[in-house]
Amino acid sequence: MMSKRTMRQVFVYGAVCLAIFLLPMLINDDFLLNRFARYLVLAMVSMALALSWGYAGILNLGQAMSFGLGSYCMAMALKLRTIPVHTGSEGLPDFMVWNNVEALPWFWKPFYSMPFAIAAGIIGPMIVSAILAWFMFRGRVTGVYVAIITLATLVVVNLVIIDQQWATGGFNGITDLAQLELFGITFDAYSATTYYLIAICLTVCLFLALAVTKSKAGLILQAIRDQEDRVRFFGYDVALFKTMVFCISAGIAGLAGMLYTIVMEFASPTFLGVQLSLSIVIWCAVGGRQSLVGALLGAILVAGMQGALSESEVFLDTWTLVMGALFVLVVLFLPNGIASLGEKLTEKFGGRRATPEPAKRGNSIARSTKLAEGK
Amino acid sequence: MTAHLELSDVSASFNGFKAVNGLSLKVEKGELRCLIGPNGAGKTTALDLICGKTVPSGGSIRFKGIELGRHDDYQIARSGVGRKFQVPSVFRQLTVRENLEVAYCKRNGVLANLLRWAHSADSDGLDKLAEFVGLSDQLNVPAAHLSHGQTQWLEIALLLAQDAELILLDEPTAGMTVQETQKTADICNRLKGKHTIIVVEHDMGFVKAIGDIISVMHQGKLLAEGPVAEIENNPKVKQVYLGSVGISGA
Repeated sequence: MMSKRTMRQVFVYGAVCLAIFLLPMLINDDFLLNRFARYLVLAMVSMALALSWGYAGILNLGQAMSFGLGSYCMAMALKLRTIPVHTGSEGLPDFMVWNNVEALPWFWKPFYSMPFAIAAGIIGPMIVSAILAWFMFRGRVTGVYVAIITLATLVVVNLVIIDQQWATGGFNGITDLAQLELFGITFDAYSATTYYLIAICLTVCLFLALAVTKSKAGLILQAIRDQEDRVRFFGYDVALFKTMVFCISAGIAGLAGMLYTIVMEFASPTFLGVQLSLSIVIWCAVGGRQSLVGALLGAILVAGMQGALSESEVFLDTWTLVMGALFVLVVLFLPNGIASLGEKLTEKFGGRRATPEPAKRGNSIARSTKLAEGK
Repeated sequence: MTAHLELSDVSASFNGFKAVNGLSLKVEKGELRCLIGPNGAGKTTALDLICGKTVPSGGSIRFKGIELGRHDDYQIARSGVGRKFQVPSVFRQLTVRENLEVAYCKRNGVLANLLRWAHSADSDGLDKLAEFVGLSDQLNVPAAHLSHGQTQWLEIALLLAQDAELILLDEPTAGMTVQETQKTADICNRLKGKHTIIVVEHDMGFVKAIGDIISVMHQGKLLAEGPVAEIENNPKVKQVYLGSVGISGA
């Protein structure tokens, strides 16, 4: 049984995904296709943040941590598939040789197996997030403190990765990677195959997230966002619900991170940098954090504009100003992001959803005043 | 036979200030108990202690023979304690219908709720509940758009949806008109017997309409307990409420 609203949502989400799948037919430029694939990956993280921030009120400023961890998992697996220049096959990855590492560290070894790497890229960030969430939400940490803790955790993980150069490549990250091969298909970063792989992952994650929001648990999460304490007095274990959504969000971000490595052909500490993490929040806010597809389109729009503006000759020096102006406008006039544009327009031009409600409210107020006067 | 709810020598202190100081109270199953007292007597704190919002600093609270003091608030709620707050607290961004669905909490687990669609068929009774409290026209309206009185009704409906064994009502008629107060009294009388209810209230007319036995609190302690007529003529109670009009005028 689906409500009209759900039907409409499924329709819009389906249309967006269809458009994403049809795009390669219009583009013949591999470079451009690679860039769009990159935007789709970023859209995926933004959507994951909307799930935890927009629906459960958990502002995760460390969303890039899960993204980066996923990205490194994939990079490690692909690095082990390249034949090192210095030592030949079976030799150590090049940066380890430069760092005088004698043998492959133990935690690199399982990454010879691609299924392990893929599982690690999703489950790893989920486990880390689960531990973090458990401590935060059991301790009933809320609001801005969650933002601070997640941001601090991100910085710590980032610093550890930069510091442990012998195992992670430090500042340079992990470069010179092999191409991913799955089921006999090679995923070249500059090809439609990779684009479709990302499009499929995005679609699956989008509808998975939509299903979560449409479940009763999704409803409870929104209730938690509104009034956390009240939910507890109905007997729900609020911490467990929040941990659940935090982990799902981390899993999607981890998957997106792996795809990002495939598209970019390297992994770098900037993938779990503060700057990227805050960008995700901005994409999400511009697109509309209470709409999954809104956050997704917000990321594509803002990241796309960033790319286009910073490369155009006219805006070469001023593109950051243009972006800043856009944010200010959105915050001022569309606090619920671009996704709320449709609702605002129907409200303004006599949409049938919005108009009857104030009338009804007027009636009830009239009735209660009558009651108050004892009529 | 042990009482349904039994508080013995319970205390709660905030930075040394004892809001509740050695309170003992027994409520039988199916009873409707009114808790009255002057401002600052510790009535709301007493409810907070029972539902786990405040952790007692001493004494024991037993519900169905089980000690509640060591459990978290959500676990206490699961064992069958429902609470209506003094300031109406509903989920403002959710619609009336969604509010009721959240309150209908027969299964509390994460996984069970993840695998179930919202708006499922087993919640038909919720529409009837909305009708019962006069909100059936507002089912799809966000709770933020309701008037104060309607919000009160919604919260009462939430309690009914939760169907708790023990219901704690904190000033349920605050801000209600005479007719609405009457309706609330009707609901309370209807619930009596099936549910154990504790009501904190200032409105003596309302208390008379519903209460069997009244407990009067003063300075965190139980001052007097008995039927309405007895309490009204109790000299100690009169003194606490200072004014010569007695509690009827409070």
